[in-house]
Amino acid sequence: MTGARLDIDRVSVRFGGLLAVDTATLHVESGSVIGLIGPNGAGKTTLFNVITGLLAPSGGAVLLDGRDLSNAKPYKRARRGIARTFQRLEAFGSLTVRENVMVAAEMRRRWAGRFDASSEVQAILERVGIAHLADARAEDLPTGNARLCELARALAVAPKILLLDEPSSGLDEDETDRLGLLLRDLAADGLGVLLVEHDMPLVMTTCDYIHVLDFGRIIARGTPSEVQSDEQVQRAYLGAKESA
Amino acid sequence: MRRYVTPVLVAAALVAVATTNWSGRSLDAESIFQLLILALPLAGIYALAATGLVVVYSTTGVFNFAQGGIGMLAAFVYWELKVNQEMPTAVALVATVFVFAPLTGLVLERLVMRHLVGKDLVVQLMVTVGLLFGFIGIANTVWDPNAGRSVPTLFGRDGIEIANITLTWHRLIALSVAVVLVGGLRFLLYSTRTGISMRAVVDNRGLAALAGIPAGRVSRVSWMLGCVLAALSGVLIAPETGMSAGGALTLATLVPGFAAAALGRMRSLPLAYAGALVLALLQQFSATFLSFGGRWAQVPARIPEMMLFATLLFLPAANVRFARITAVRRRGRVVRPREGAVGLLILALFIPFLGSLLTTTNLSRLTLAMSVAIVALSLVPLTGWAGQVSFAPLAFAGIGAAVFSQIGGAEGHPWAVLVAAALTAPVGTLLSLVAVRLQGLYLGLATFAFAFVTRDVILNQPFAFGGQSLPAPRQTWFGFDVSDNSDYLILATVVFGVVGVALLMLRNSAWGRRLVAMRDSEAASATVGVNLFETKVAVFTLSAAIAGLGGAFIAMYHQQVAATEFEALASLGLVLQMAIGGLGFITGAVFAGVFQLPIQIVIEKWPGVSLFRGLERVAPGFGALGIIQNPDGAVVAIGEGFAPQLPGRNDAKEHLRALRRQRAARYDVESAELGLSTPINVSAVSALERKLGVTADLAEAPA
Repeated sequence: MTGARLDIDRVSVRFGGLLAVDTATLHVESGSVIGLIGPNGAGKTTLFNVITGLLAPSGGAVLLDGRDLSNAKPYKRARRGIARTFQRLEAFGSLTVRENVMVAAEMRRRWAGRFDASSEVQAILERVGIAHLADARAEDLPTGNARLCELARALAVAPKILLLDEPSSGLDEDETDRLGLLLRDLAADGLGVLLVEHDMPLVMTTCDYIHVLDFGRIIARGTPSEVQSDEQVQRAYLGAKESA
Repeated sequence: MRRYVTPVLVAAALVAVATTNWSGRSLDAESIFQLLILALPLAGIYALAATGLVVVYSTTGVFNFAQGGIGMLAAFVYWELKVNQEMPTAVALVATVFVFAPLTGLVLERLVMRHLVGKDLVVQLMVTVGLLFGFIGIANTVWDPNAGRSVPTLFGRDGIEIANITLTWHRLIALSVAVVLVGGLRFLLYSTRTGISMRAVVDNRGLAALAGIPAGRVSRVSWMLGCVLAALSGVLIAPETGMSAGGALTLATLVPGFAAAALGRMRSLPLAYAGALVLALLQQFSATFLSFGGRWAQVPARIPEMMLFATLLFLPAANVRFARITAVRRRGRVVRPREGAVGLLILALFIPFLGSLLTTTNLSRLTLAMSVAIVALSLVPLTGWAGQVSFAPLAFAGIGAAVFSQIGGAEGHPWAVLVAAALTAPVGTLLSLVAVRLQGLYLGLATFAFAFVTRDVILNQPFAFGGQSLPAPRQTWFGFDVSDNSDYLILATVVFGVVGVALLMLRNSAWGRRLVAMRDSEAASATVGVNLFETKVAVFTLSAAIAGLGGAFIAMYHQQVAATEFEALASLGLVLQMAIGGLGFITGAVFAGVFQLPIQIVIEKWPGVSLFRGLERVAPGFGALGIIQNPDGAVVAIGEGFAPQLPGRNDAKEHLRALRRQRAARYDVESAELGLSTPINVSAVSALERKLGVTADLAEAPA
């Protein structure tokens, strides 16, 4: 899986009178972790919904390896290698953690050829660090572990591009550190990761490149250190100076 | 291009129906005027019913399936006061509409509805369907259904004469009430504090809650208003329909209300009024200018259902549904095929033993119950696992029964049961092709309409029953003679067991997990590569096949079978019994099948006791309230108590201990540190969100 590239090309989303995403352009390549940060309501999750096909954009296009995905249903996009987690949890609540991951692995077996799903599921659970929870029902998990369950499920799709929507919320500091290492590890394996996250230390230590979204527009982009020193970003996060 | 296909098809069908069934009456100004005079009051009554649905649905998110039942009950209360107690009309009317109805709304809201907000759609629907049955049962208990009674029209038969037609005062009042109400509701919604709160809740529940609008009060007012509107429609329609609780009186506003409200997508009042008008015009047009006979004789009676179905076809395809994890946990566990096989073997051995103890009548009932249980199995994968609501299991069974008798069954070929299953399956496919565009509530309504139209139109065609009863002799199965009920019971139980074990194998397969995953979160399923369309069509097809098979066994039970065995309301009752038993469980289907048996025995034992008169409806109706707390149904609760007592069921003992631990675990370490009294898990978060009213997800976001 070398050289996968996800392009978000001038995507806009309009809810009635509200422009939730305004001509956002960014790309994610294999082997990199790209951060997408911004205040609540900036349009991050909306953008994820557009990329995965759950929401049709009002304008613009999403391309995977140069192929336009605009007419591809969500399941087709998954089969082409895009997987995600959800900010508002979408775990299969009544299934166990193992079954959650199993569903994804078994689906992949239908289009990616035969393989031993259960041993692969076990390997993923161990990699994400929730093997000890394998037989718990997802709806009984604390939110942090439920997010890891979603991450494991997304990995079972064997994606080229992985979209993570606030994976660290609900995790303690140690767990967050481990998550950061895992993400770097995944990128080293050739995955392209798009990370929406509020935990700034995690974003700054994990990401290669960061886009800042505010009111649906990308207001800044750059390496972690460039973004940190950007005035516009500080204003968006800390409030406008003129109001003081 | 595609958006014009459905309208053109529907319009063409309407024109074709109208021209081929023209009664010969000329279409002149006078007849059209008369049509309008008759249609407008009817439209007014429908508008009242639809408004009640819309107000409640848009402010509380609960679709009140029992709306027609409340109207029916109000009509009975009005009859009691006006006719039986001989009160003056005005007193009886005020007492019914402005005392009884709002009180009913208040009690319903407090005892039932507030516990439904944010619950699984299947639970919401089943509970209000249950209330519909409960109200019918109450009416039959209090007012002997065999005694004739009628509600007089307001101010007798007098009226004003327009164009050779007497517009009775009653109808004039119906029309005026509706018109006044349109104005009144506008005033309420735009010029009063409560109304503005209600509109705010409609616009954005989460935002309204954050703005400090008391959701509880809005919900109370909505339910009271909804019940007042239902009562008005019920009292006004009663003189035209007669006083049959489980029939015309309830149905006269039930489906028309749904159809009108559906045109406004359950949210828009003006469109709902338009829907009411269109429906009344269609009905009066048909009554004035068209005449249907023979196999089409029931078409005029099914206009509301056909309009409901057609309206749903026009709805835009639903968005992919995001999950709504509810605070109620499912407790049932997945049964392995081997366990199921052992259990069903025990059942197959036990049932004949039980049969030998029963009287002839009860043996016969049990035999029918096990045949119906096969039909109930069709709901296990469809509704129980995949979460797709269907109110039409008996409609598919009816199709199966007709196919069975038409192809081989009448001549006594055992393979005809397989033909019945095989040919009913594509009907399920066909319905699903329409239905998968819809979601939850609309899917339920579409299947409900389908159940009526199948029973009264499709099954009456010559290729089906053609208004006759068809022979369905019991055959010899592998040399066994099953002409006796005691033997046929064993056959039905064995077939039930085989289908049951096959379903359990399916549940434990990749496909079974996929179905449950789709129920739990469509969005997540789609993003791991599940083709929702294909999966839904497949499960509908499978479900139809099982129901068709069950239909063949119902046919053989009766030996002579007619369309009357497959009534739409009976379908609704079966789904309700299944929901009480446990939609996702094989044992739930047994429960659903035999549910009425003890009730029938009780009624038979004490025939004169009026308390039991409505029990057949009251029991499933109010029994359904149990699924608010336990969506997995009664069989899981029974199993939790029963299984640990069995030898060798250490797993069940462990399961019970785990459940107790879960209930006892008031603290976990993390939560205790935060000073919280219960652990924070996914369910707790969703419970909190619901308390705050911030449950809006993408599916509800403005498009």
